[in-house]
Amino acid sequence: MRIRLLFILMTICAGGAAGAADLHRITLPPPTVSLKEGAGVYVVRRYCSICHSLDYITTQPKFPKAKWQAEVAKMIKVYGAPIPEESVKVISDYIAAYYGTGS
Amino acid sequence: MHLPGITRRDFLKAVGVTTAMAATGTLPPVLYAGERRLETYPEKADLLLLTARPPQLETPLKYFKELITPNEALFVRWHLANIPTSVDLATWRLVVHGEVENALSLTLDDLKRFEKIEYTAVIQCAGNGRSFFDPPVFGGQWLNGAMGNVTWSGVRLRDVLKRAGIKAGAQEVIFKGLDNPPLPTVPGFAKSLALDKAQEDEIMIAYEMNGRELPLLNGYPVRLVVPGWYATYWVKSLSDMEVAARPFEGFWKKSAYRIPDTACGCVEPGSTPAKTVPITRMTTRSLLINPQDGSRLKAGRPIELMGVAFSGGYGIKEVSVSVNGGQDWRPARLGKDLGRHSWVQWYYPMKPQKAGSYDVRVRAVNSIGESQPLDSLWNPAGYLWNKIERNTLIVV
Ligand code: HEC
Repeated sequence: MRIRLLFILMTICAGGAAGAADLHRITLPPPTVSLKEGAGVYVVRRYCSICHSLDYITTQPKFPKAKWQAEVAKMIKVYGAPIPEESVKVISDYIAAYYGTGS
Repeated sequence: MHLPGITRRDFLKAVGVTTAMAATGTLPPVLYAGERRLETYPEKADLLLLTARPPQLETPLKYFKELITPNEALFVRWHLANIPTSVDLATWRLVVHGEVENALSLTLDDLKRFEKIEYTAVIQCAGNGRSFFDPPVFGGQWLNGAMGNVTWSGVRLRDVLKRAGIKAGAQEVIFKGLDNPPLPTVPGFAKSLALDKAQEDEIMIAYEMNGRELPLLNGYPVRLVVPGWYATYWVKSLSDMEVAARPFEGFWKKSAYRIPDTACGCVEPGSTPAKTVPITRMTTRSLLINPQDGSRLKAGRPIELMGVAFSGGYGIKEVSVSVNGGQDWRPARLGKDLGRHSWVQWYYPMKPQKAGSYDVRVRAVNSIGESQPLDSLWNPAGYLWNKIERNTLIVV
């Protein structure tokens, strides 16, 4: 709170207070994407939002399940996503069903 | 964009896929799983939201009616969610280290004491147009708005490297910015240029876009500018330059941002290339901007079509337009020439007499004869999109 107030003051007095002109700050709007309810959605929310927002999933074209399986495998292999083996199928099934071509 | 008393929610405009498409031009072959909408990020205008963390925002085509893309409208593309949201110039430094005689740690003021240079150059994401790929590919589903034409000012990378004194045997310069991986297992974003390339006259460390400081989301306080090459090299919020004795092997060069090692950078749609190389120079492109694809026109009323054309650093020699699906091509008039890295605006008068649907195509040729393919080229990562676009104008 105190820091925030200080920042507002600094912004208002830009140029006045020493150092204020040196600070450039922005606040990002929060991610607003929400996944459709369905079997497995909790697992997807839990693991697929660790590194990026879930719109990484919802803005993709509609892919078949096999493609999503490979994509989840890429997250694990290439980026080290901490996803247990047994969750891979749940995740791919969910995404293919709600954001892919189904099968 | 920071209007007192107005919350971000007031800016939120929920538009469905079709509206967003209409706002940006061409219909992609597949529909997205989710919807797109315009959203306002700090220091930016309403842009099409691809992803929120990290932010990826696309410029609606209407902004390309102008020769210069406003800072607020330029697209945003970060890779890793830990992006810088504050920079304090009192502590910020650009460091140069590695195979150099004198390691440097420069403040922004130090940097501004080098000779200032300025030019206009197109910046374009390697994946611009990816959403038109058929079969579709994973990655940011950009329409054609991951590009812009900006006047950059800053200092020559070469001058800064010279001050540091490059040691004999050095091979590359590795560039890193203030963004960080969300987990330690994710490779940090870094790119490199071979020393020869890095020392070309025009490679710039830019501290101004269109005469103003960079928006944080576009790389404040300084970003690398590699005119003619895709934006993946234009490292944002540049903070670290390492002169290295051997070629850089980082993930974002070795595994990502690669194209098939074929003459067209393409392979049979859906197939896997035998060998890949890093993507570098932009292909030649031209687009119809106004009236937009799908617009309705009045029969008998004259209208001037306009758009933009650019190429990877060789300037545009000619733009031709066909209003009958590629049967006849006629030269378009070219607008002001801001140099070989800028885009050029083209104009073409049209007076459609008969009602009906007109298939309008545009084709550019650059000064070394490079042009655009009739059919789409395909590669697995969705790069180099530059086919001759098919636009429909409906005359009533
Ligand atoms: C360990 C971190 C991490 C986790 C966890 C993670 N991702 Fe990713 N993901 C990344 C990174 C890094 C990128 C590349 C970001 C970029 O270039 O914009 C990425 C990109 C993507 C993309 C874009 C296409 C591509 O391959 O670049 C999709 C789709 C995606 N992730 C889906 C998922 C799904 C589904 C999950 C949950 C199973 C997931 N991610 C979990 C790190 C992660």
